[in-house]
Amino acid sequence: MLVLSIAAILSFSTRLFSVLRFESVIHEFDPYFNYRTTRYLTEEGFYSFHNWFDDRAWYPLGRIIGGTIYPGLMVTSAVFYHALWFFNITIDIRNVCVFLAPMFSSFTTLVTYWFTKELKDAGAGLVAAAMIAIVPGYISRSVAGSYDNEGIAIFCMLLTYALWIKSVKTGSLFWSCLCALAYFYMVSSWGGYVFLINLIPLHVLALMLTGRFSHRIYVAYSAVYCIGTILSMQISFVGFQPVQSSEHMAALGVFGLCQMHAFIDYVRSKLSVEQFNILFRSIVLMGAVVSLSVAAIGTATGKISPWTGRFYSLLDPSYAKNNIPIIASVSEHQPTTWSSFYFDLQMLTIMFPAGLYFCFNRLTDANIFIIMYGVTSIYFAGVMVRLMLVLAPVMCILSGIGVSSTLNTYMKNLDVSRKDKKTSKKNVDHTYPFKNEVATGVVFLVTAFLITYTFHCTWVTSEAYSSPSIVLSARAGDGGRIIFDDFREAYYWLRHNTPEDAKVMSWWDYGYQITAMANRTILVDNNTWNNTHISRVGQAMASTEDKAYEIMRELDVNYVLVIFGGLTGYSSDDINKFLWMVRIGGSTDRGAHIKEADYYTPQGEFRIDKEGSPTLLNCLMYKMCYYRFGEVYTEGGKPTGYDRVRNAEIGNKNFDLDVLEEAYTTEHWLVRIYKVKDLDNRGA
Amino acid sequence: KIDVSTHLVKMSTSITLENTGKSPIKSFLYALEPSLQNYLSIITANVKDKDEKLGVSQTTVASKKDLSFWRIELPSNLEPGKTMTVDVDSSYAHALTPYPAEITQSQKQQVLYNGNVYFFSPYSTKSQTTTVTTTNTAIESYSKSPKPVSQTDRTVTYGPYEQREAFSEAELRVHYENNSPFLTVTNLERIIEVSHWGNIAVEEHISMRHTGALLKGPFSRYDYQRAQDGLSSIKAFKTVLPAAARDVYYRDEIGNISTSNLKEMDDFVELELRPRFPLFGGWKTQYYIGYNVPSYQYLFNKGDNYALKMRFVDHIFDDMVVDQVTVKIILPEGAKNMRLETPYPVTQGENQLHFTYLDTTGRPVIVIHKSNLVEQHIQDFQLHYTFQKLLLLQEPLIVVGAFYLLFLAVIVYVRLDFSITKDEAKESKMRVASLVEEVQSAHDRRSALYQSYDDAINKYKSTKDANTFAATRKKVDADYKSLTQQISDLQTKLKNEGSDLAEKVNELQVSDRQYKDLVALAITLAEKLVSGKINKQQYLDNEKINKTKREDLDSKMEALRSSLA
Repeated sequence: MLVLSIAAILSFSTRLFSVLRFESVIHEFDPYFNYRTTRYLTEEGFYSFHNWFDDRAWYPLGRIIGGTIYPGLMVTSAVFYHALWFFNITIDIRNVCVFLAPMFSSFTTLVTYWFTKELKDAGAGLVAAAMIAIVPGYISRSVAGSYDNEGIAIFCMLLTYALWIKSVKTGSLFWSCLCALAYFYMVSSWGGYVFLINLIPLHVLALMLTGRFSHRIYVAYSAVYCIGTILSMQISFVGFQPVQSSEHMAALGVFGLCQMHAFIDYVRSKLSVEQFNILFRSIVLMGAVVSLSVAAIGTATGKISPWTGRFYSLLDPSYAKNNIPIIASVSEHQPTTWSSFYFDLQMLTIMFPAGLYFCFNRLTDANIFIIMYGVTSIYFAGVMVRLMLVLAPVMCILSGIGVSSTLNTYMKNLDVSRKDKKTSKKNVDHTYPFKNEVATGVVFLVTAFLITYTFHCTWVTSEAYSSPSIVLSARAGDGGRIIFDDFREAYYWLRHNTPEDAKVMSWWDYGYQITAMANRTILVDNNTWNNTHISRVGQAMASTEDKAYEIMRELDVNYVLVIFGGLTGYSSDDINKFLWMVRIGGSTDRGAHIKEADYYTPQGEFRIDKEGSPTLLNCLMYKMCYYRFGEVYTEGGKPTGYDRVRNAEIGNKNFDLDVLEEAYTTEHWLVRIYKVKDLDNRGA
Repeated sequence: KIDVSTHLVKMSTSITLENTGKSPIKSFLYALEPSLQNYLSIITANVKDKDEKLGVSQTTVASKKDLSFWRIELPSNLEPGKTMTVDVDSSYAHALTPYPAEITQSQKQQVLYNGNVYFFSPYSTKSQTTTVTTTNTAIESYSKSPKPVSQTDRTVTYGPYEQREAFSEAELRVHYENNSPFLTVTNLERIIEVSHWGNIAVEEHISMRHTGALLKGPFSRYDYQRAQDGLSSIKAFKTVLPAAARDVYYRDEIGNISTSNLKEMDDFVELELRPRFPLFGGWKTQYYIGYNVPSYQYLFNKGDNYALKMRFVDHIFDDMVVDQVTVKIILPEGAKNMRLETPYPVTQGENQLHFTYLDTTGRPVIVIHKSNLVEQHIQDFQLHYTFQKLLLLQEPLIVVGAFYLLFLAVIVYVRLDFSITKDEAKESKMRVASLVEEVQSAHDRRSALYQSYDDAINKYKSTKDANTFAATRKKVDADYKSLTQQISDLQTKLKNEGSDLAEKVNELQVSDRQYKDLVALAITLAEKLVSGKINKQQYLDNEKINKTKREDLDSKMEALRSSLA
């Protein structure tokens, strides 16, 4: 109990590094959107939130917010906010949002304990809880300020799993209903619920194949599937997907299979063996034919939608690269490297197989579930960096089981041998020499592992995951810290010194931040639902000034915003993302004239210096980034216009912008804002 | 004397009055120039070389409805024929027009002042001179008439002129360079939250705007950084806070602004604030700063009567101009009978209620509005109210009460049984467990009694005192009997519960009886030894056999006892 509460508190406090070091702000990009919608929800109430048509984003299309998001996160924090205000605790909604993720991660710690306890015992539960409290893979998404769906979704996911295990173990309708409710919460908060609705049927299927199917499972699955599906359809973003889209078909199929299995079991108990065999064969044949034809008709008539792009890319990692550049362009969707596995999980990568072994050793319904969860999630995490998040909890649980079992085994040896010493020495086991020494060694080794794990986690948290990307900091020559607050500088400038209805064009990464902080209308944002629109922006960025001007007039743009790191050495700026703009821009019909190859040198390099391709050196993005940069000395001993990110002197220095004028550039040149000039009064 | 070196027009008029009438006069009228009267921020008057302020109040004159007049009260009656010198200071905000109205980044800002050469007075003036002080020597042009006019360095002198009629006017026009910050606070909301626990929290929400010449064309960071131009822009300004200010913060809607410096001086705290971006003409920004001050410096009380004495507005930057200010004073919950005293007229809005931590009925909020303020308005206001000191205890009591209720609820929840159906098996199990526990403890005490039998025997052997031995034995016997009785009672109860543990208890009792017999044997042996019926050797042998048996029984009972649980 004490250990558990300490773990819960630890999981909360270790996520506060960023608040202490910087301030209580929202990090990253997506959280800004969530923050903005939450503020809207608390101010306007649920119904207007539900019907909210946002005209600030996706100009001129707009976006129906209420129907295109998972409202779980916003509703949760709004409930917290109102509850606190009811007690006259006047806490700012921003602080509620900032601290929601750490709070939910301490809930996750508790749920993990319970889940692991259900799987094995309280000891393993404690180890797993302590591990998940500080596992970097999970912290990366739940530090204070990263106000994102994943923060609460992991909690919901583990809660659903724990309740599922409970209902499988007991076969009681009560637990199944609770599980369905938890599933509903999960659906309302994260798109990753698809993983859940596929894993649970998979578990049931595995149980059926291994002949462990029983009435308990029948009751649990039928209840969870029916109630869960009906509830999940209440979320307007999900709608009828659970019965139409391919992602959910597995669940439906297993549900049907479940009924059949139960029916066959019933029939088998009534009939003789021969009769049964004939019946069985005919039924299986019939069933297969019917279900196949239903699926075929459904797909043909469009009732069952094909798999979405992200889902395809999960099954086939190279799919996105070839077909949809916009999915591939997100760094979160890249395959995971080995180093990041170790970085995010450290010793868990080693203890995970041990845990698996112990689970196989004692195969139960619940253990089969955790094994399947572990194996599938390790595959998904390998495909997409983002899904490391799904893997982290199961890693913790399995490692918790592993560590606790190992320690249990050897601790016993340790105790026995000690007692032996005390009383009499006649019981020494000659088949197992150095029993005590081996046991001590193993215990020490595991302890050492755990200690290094703790240090590693703390280090990773404080160094890698606790910097809000909105404020950058760097070490100055004298050891002091320099803070680059350029993003907020620019956004605040936009907020106060541009007309209220100004339309800002930027690459989609910054969309959410601009709407939230600058309160201006933008063309594209991080909700990348309209590929052609983004592609149009990409074309504007990649074209020459004249062409771009046409596109910008067409899109009614007033301001253009680019991120430029050449002066400070901020590497994730727009020039480095430029190739994606080119690819995405060229991926639609209207952008067919933009070819990726034009932007490379004949040698196939992407260079910005004199050797670079002329198409690149004359495109709008290049000009906007390097406008007047050619006159600046950035580093001693280097010529003017030396780009510190790409370590090259820029190739096109003296040029003027004809259709744009510089409206604002931040102190460290990180953000540059240009104003689109009006058409000339006289035709030139 | 007109000072137009900053973005304010500061007019200080030194008037020598002469009473040419017959009767002593108590006050005189001061007229504002028609071109400036809409810009007036503050007007004060004092007798030359004396600090005491004279009463100034606005009046109207029937014949000149469109002009605004101020009546200045004299400290003493001015007798006929006597003279007196009075200094009248007035400040005008937004009276300077940038000309040209739009400049590029590198241009210097030039402004135009339009005024009156003559002293605009309802009385005739015998002799006067007017001087205009500008920012620097770069004076583009100035009106050359009426003569004499001269310019030295940064002053333009008009006059002296003799014998002018009342309300005489002649255009004065100065066009000069003025790069001083044309910063205007368009809206200031000052929130003062008083806590009787010793703290006053002040928060100021400020929206400001550069009201100089608008920026024309692009803003180039390169030029701004390299050429040090953008002379008219505002990079930073200094705010002076009270000396006791602590926990100062500087933020805006999207978070902390990291570009500020705090310097603590002896009698004030200087805060150098840099907006997120430099302000060019027409650009605006918004921020808020807040700090805490200890209440003993500002809050005074006599019994239940309290008086709050604080600045109505505080310093924001030098030569500040505030267009619109709203002061909100939040008093503690339960404050009553508020009465406000201000140094200058203000409009008082409707009182509001504010709810924050641990409030039940809400805190009263006094709302005050005022427009067009300058630095001279930094003066104290006084707010009197009554507050019962006992109410201070209300909030801690609420917290205590809440925790008390919470604990009480937990206690009640733990003690009460909320299950709808009684789980018989579980109940019985729990009863058995408690019975077993009792049996065990009874048995433990009984084993202790065996030990005291042994002790008694040993003592008897050494002292050979039969009486004491008998007494001790009797006592131990009684204890033993009651314990045995207790255990057999428990055994019956266990049997009633239908527990098979009753068998084990029975076994325990049987072995105990054997043990008791052995003890009795040991006692007889000891008695025999003492009375000399058997010799030592015999005793030792018998005793040894006896003891082994006893030990066996003891360990058997011990095993039974632990198997019970």
